Amino acid sequence: MSKLEEIASAVERGKAKLVPGLVQEALDEGIDPVEILNKGMIDAMSVVGEKFKNNEIFVPEMLVAARAMKKGVEVLKPALGSENNVSIGKAVIGTVQGDLHDIGKNLVCLMIESAGFEVQDLGVDVPAEKFVEAAADPAVKIVGVSALLTTTMPAMKATVEALNAAPERANYKVMVGGAPITQEFADEIGADAYTADAATAASVAKAFVVG
Amino acid sequence: MDRIPFRKEELEIVGQTVNLGRGSFPLLNTPITPRENFLMFLRGEEPLWMPQQRDVLSVTPAVVKDNIARGFVHDATGFDPNKDGGGPDMFGIEWEWVPQVNGSMVRPGNPKVPDITEWENYIEFPDPDSWDWAGSAEKNKVLIEQKDLLFGATILNGLFERLISFCEMDEALVAMIDEDEQEAVHRLFDKLADFYPKIIRKYKEYYNIDILTFHDDWGSQRAPFFSLDTVEEMLVPYLKRIVDATHELGIIFELHSCGKNEMLVPAMIEAGVDMWNGQPMNDKRMLVEKYGDKMIFGAYPTTLTNDSTVEEVREACKEFVDFFNPYRIYGGYGSAMFAPGVRESLYEFSRIAKCGSAE
Repeated sequence: MSKLEEIASAVERGKAKLVPGLVQEALDEGIDPVEILNKGMIDAMSVVGEKFKNNEIFVPEMLVAARAMKKGVEVLKPALGSENNVSIGKAVIGTVQGDLHDIGKNLVCLMIESAGFEVQDLGVDVPAEKFVEAAADPAVKIVGVSALLTTTMPAMKATVEALNAAPERANYKVMVGGAPITQEFADEIGADAYTADAATAASVAKAFVVG
Repeated sequence: MDRIPFRKEELEIVGQTVNLGRGSFPLLNTPITPRENFLMFLRGEEPLWMPQQRDVLSVTPAVVKDNIARGFVHDATGFDPNKDGGGPDMFGIEWEWVPQVNGSMVRPGNPKVPDITEWENYIEFPDPDSWDWAGSAEKNKVLIEQKDLLFGATILNGLFERLISFCEMDEALVAMIDEDEQEAVHRLFDKLADFYPKIIRKYKEYYNIDILTFHDDWGSQRAPFFSLDTVEEMLVPYLKRIVDATHELGIIFELHSCGKNEMLVPAMIEAGVDMWNGQPMNDKRMLVEKYGDKMIFGAYPTTLTNDSTVEEVREACKEFVDFFNPYRIYGGYGSAMFAPGVRESLYEFSRIAKCGSAE
């Protein structure tokens, strides 16, 4: 097994204690840090996402894999250097005003981060204007809006309308999700995408940005 | 018990159930009480009709602080969650009543237990002996003395839900599989498996319940939170102890577990759970065929909504009874139970299916 395969395997299995050491060994062997990130970790997380979608693994396994990757990225960061920024863009993600649910939103944050984005987590109970303010950053490519309740779907509509009216709107895609949300509702309120789970959210976000 | 054939007069309303704050339901002119019918069913005898969730009166009295914190007091005291819901539960976790959800939640971001491996440093177990059970029972005498409906109590916050309330969802999920944290979770569940039966014994002593509903959500809309292996390793040993303690008191154990959890049913059976309602996204037809001899399932016609017409309700209920009548199933809780005439239609068709018609 190559070092990159070892890293990928450890990330997939959520071995947070092993990954940093393996990443360091890979760096010591002279492997390109960008390759370690892409082949060793981001690709591994894509596999994790697929397995999650297919119910081969569940939320805890996905969480520990994402955390293991995070540990690896911490070791990798100095080697990547500021001149070698590999983030594919910034994503701002939050749960709409009046809604305190954060589980789905947290999973989406983890998976989107694991797909190579820099993530700004706005938290829960986020007013529309806070989404708009965060999305004004030119680095933002994705705005993720979450709602778990039928009663907070109007807040999602108001948030997406506010984002759609913002002058920076052409810079980013608006993605929505949450238990009561459907593709029809996403279309109706003018969102660019609806996804049913965190793994799909990550792959759709990535496709928006890198094609 | 004679197999008394169905007569149309049975659909006449002869009274109302006790109001627990969620409204009351009409009592039909049944040949035996819904409670007697449900007890027959639970004893493994053929009931006169398919029991329904509405045949159960399940209390969550204010004497258990969780019920106030969750805004879920259903007893005879006239609790108003918009006024009194929220606050500390019996472990001191602060809950926030959210009117839009009609429920409470712990505001994320400040867990009481920041590190689950050290939960003993943050959590003190309450003492149910020190609660005013006698006073509570006195206030709820009208419920305890009613004999029309099967009588039960619900424990909110089961094992996994308790873990979530201590350390938040993400951490709770990881702790269920992380080798470094599992031991602490085992210690917690072990202590909870001793603790919950203390409350159940109080319910037996002061409320004389027939059935205990134990609330522990294990899944989301699309899948369980965790694998069957994880449930078998982390939850089943402790759930089984709680179930066994419940059975020792002669009480039926119903698991309330939201989510698409059908793949976890073997774990429920292993733990000795008697009944699981389960949300409609679970394939009840598959479940009764595969596990119907081992556990009772709740189900109802899933095509119905509050907007369904009476004709649609009757058609769906007839089809439902035709399929499910051979199985040990009860008309479970769900939005469809409020469709117009669903209760009466399920009653009528299942009465006829089980006992024939005198008409």
